[in-house]
Amino acid sequence: MEGSRPVDPHGPEHRPHVPSPSLWPVGFAIGVAILLTGLIVGWWIVLLGAIIAVLFGFLWIRDIGADARAAPEPELVQGAGGGPVVPGEGAAMPVMSDEEIERFPRSKFLEASTLGVGAIIGGLVTVPALGFAVLPAFTGAEDHNIDVGGVGDFPEGDWRIVTFLQNPDEGEVSRRTTFIRYNGELEGQPSFTIIANNCAHLGCPVQPSGPVADEEKKEERINGQVITRIPAQPAAFACPCHGGAYDLEGNRTAGPPVRALDRFAFAIDGDRLVLTSRYSVGTVEGEGKDAVITKYGQVPPGVHVDGPEQFLYPIEPPK
Amino acid sequence: MATGVDRRRAEFKRYKEDVQSRGKPFFPFAMWHDTVMSLVVVVITIALAAIWYFDSGEDPEDVGILGPRYTAEADPGTTSFVPRPDWFFFFLFYLLRIFKWPESVILGTVGIPTLCLILLLALPFLDVRAERRIIRRPVALVAGVLVIISMGVLTYKGATAEEGISTSGDVVEQWMTEGNLPPEARKGAELVAESGCLNCHTYRGVGSPNLGAPDLTEIGAQDQGKDYFHRYVANPRDFGNNVMPVYQSLGDENLDAIAAFLDASRNP
Amino acid sequence: MASTTTPPRRKPPSRASVAVNYPLDWLEERSGLVGGTKYFLFRKVPGDINWMQTLGSATLTAFLIQLLTGVILAMYYKPDPNSAYASIVHITNDVTLGWLVRGMHKWGASMFIILMFLHMGRVFLFGAYKYPRELNWIVGALLIPIGLFEGFTGYLLPWDQTAYWATVVGININGTAPFLGPFIAQFLQGGAEIGPDTLSRFYSLHMLLLPGAIIGLIVLHLYLVVRLGVSSPPWSKDAAGMERPDDVQRGNGRAGLTRPTRRGGDV
Repeated sequence: MEGSRPVDPHGPEHRPHVPSPSLWPVGFAIGVAILLTGLIVGWWIVLLGAIIAVLFGFLWIRDIGADARAAPEPELVQGAGGGPVVPGEGAAMPVMSDEEIERFPRSKFLEASTLGVGAIIGGLVTVPALGFAVLPAFTGAEDHNIDVGGVGDFPEGDWRIVTFLQNPDEGEVSRRTTFIRYNGELEGQPSFTIIANNCAHLGCPVQPSGPVADEEKKEERINGQVITRIPAQPAAFACPCHGGAYDLEGNRTAGPPVRALDRFAFAIDGDRLVLTSRYSVGTVEGEGKDAVITKYGQVPPGVHVDGPEQFLYPIEPPK
Repeated sequence: MATGVDRRRAEFKRYKEDVQSRGKPFFPFAMWHDTVMSLVVVVITIALAAIWYFDSGEDPEDVGILGPRYTAEADPGTTSFVPRPDWFFFFLFYLLRIFKWPESVILGTVGIPTLCLILLLALPFLDVRAERRIIRRPVALVAGVLVIISMGVLTYKGATAEEGISTSGDVVEQWMTEGNLPPEARKGAELVAESGCLNCHTYRGVGSPNLGAPDLTEIGAQDQGKDYFHRYVANPRDFGNNVMPVYQSLGDENLDAIAAFLDASRNP
Repeated sequence: MASTTTPPRRKPPSRASVAVNYPLDWLEERSGLVGGTKYFLFRKVPGDINWMQTLGSATLTAFLIQLLTGVILAMYYKPDPNSAYASIVHITNDVTLGWLVRGMHKWGASMFIILMFLHMGRVFLFGAYKYPRELNWIVGALLIPIGLFEGFTGYLLPWDQTAYWATVVGININGTAPFLGPFIAQFLQGGAEIGPDTLSRFYSLHMLLLPGAIIGLIVLHLYLVVRLGVSSPPWSKDAAGMERPDDVQRGNGRAGLTRPTRRGGDV
């Protein structure tokens, strides 16, 4: 087996040879520092630093020389040929034995306070960092009122595919698509059906089942963002991902969607149609302006709002 | 009589003795195999990258045998894109298509995958027998084969899953030529392609069969006539069909075109 | 007892061997690393191990490919929704050998997943998740969903249509989990819907948190492999650890555990 003791060049009995204590190096170092400072400040300081460094350097070397002439020659002892050292020999640190642990009764207090302080440090660092990672996702969402066109841009009974930026500050990443139909007037006020195109199953983009007149697309710049409106003639809505299907009020007619399509609430500002907030829908009874909509707060796709499975999602995350 | 734990510890002790007396050093014997296999992995990866790049082009439409370099830039407002996950998620994707009923959605999204993951993690505690040869582990063998087959089938079905909406014009061309359709059927063909009919009907291998909707490739051969098709598509409720959407809103002109197309679809 | 033969004369060490050994000894005395590496390289493994057992290191190679190409890609990729797509197009088409690095990363991901599953299947086949390797199996079974999640977060980064919509669906799948689902979805999105923070979040997860977790678990996984040893194929005629006839005669445990005894038939 390979192995050898660590080689001690001075032999077993020799005391290590070190220079006697001396403060001359301090003066030398100060002199060098002043010299370097002088390079920035001025040439006289350089000269001063050089003088100090040389003076103390001379004194220092003189001391070492005197020591060296007084010390005997160190003896060299041959080791075993410089073989590899077995790990653990001469490298392992001492470990407390059990009796030694008994000799330090106050260590319990030290142990506890070390862990305690460590826990406090951990908390001070982790809690704000985690809060930074987690909390912003649950706060600060604002509703923006989006003007998507004049009431006159929506002929009665026709559908338009309307896209807009839900949060203009965020840019294109907040572009959303809705299917909007003007239903005529209800009690003197314009009635609109505004359906969002995110499937209520898992969020895929829902498509209109019917011809879409891409060539008649209108783009309008309103309040600093581009709104697009495209005429379409859907007979229903369908999702290409997993076979979900909806009727023209957004009710689920087939497939895995767990509720109806989300809608947008709206306001009429003068003669402009303004989308306000988005909400989720359980079911819609009736059609067009006579529709009765069961409204819920906005929840993500896949979340049941009615039926027995609504109890799987008791707490709505704050937004 | 040795207890279970003692028996296992004895076997492990034997194992260590065997390896000590008859084992070979890891380097170079085992590491040689590892290195060769790693080289194979690296070469395959580079080859795939090269084929993918040289068989495609800068335009997202320029698709090669290994797919495009990228699709169009993300458009959150799109109404024509059909989402698909990365291929190694196809089995989960198809699982979602299997669980079509809203009450069962949660089984397909988190129920079954979570259950499988728990079983996977707990495997060493479920199988505590010491036997390691596969032919003497029937439960393990059956479970393993079932898992491999079902994941394979689900992945394949996910990969070939048709989406209902195929709005590309090439499909209409293919229909016109393959079915030998007269020119007046073209408008109806385009309408059928983009009106979501293929969500439930199939036509010449395109579309996904759903909810019992019949294949329409030869629907005209029954000689029911254009008028029948016009009235049926306009309002399926009149014919006892409560599942198909009502297409009245398309208007007479479009409905006539669709009827002409369906009536002309007689050839296999 | 003195030997009457003289020991053979040893050649003095050559300059080359001293040049190699001296730095190694220096390092070994101060850290013990050289000894550790030698232990890892020259440790004994059963003599009958199979080519199937290279799948683990092949998976490691695939992961190392991902690490290296990922680091290089990060030098050119811009993780902002407004510039991510353009940076990917730039990397693929313009940057010298950018297509190769991106291609290797993209296909290396698939290789990594496939090899992980094949490796898992091999371990299952060999029954190498049984005592004493249960912990190693659990570590590996944790690596699988983390690896898949790496793939999921990475898929969003090009910010093209495929990326965006696959991510929408994936996040919403997580969102359907009972009770915590909507919270998880909102956390991943960085808000009530996918927004500008989502891409940064996914980038941070993909580049920092998940690779850190994977590397940590791989280190643990490898440590356990070295410590517990590599198992012989169970069908091997000379499997390490199998019962032998002399064990049976001495009465050590039940016979026929891993193999029928040489007397023939199961005992």
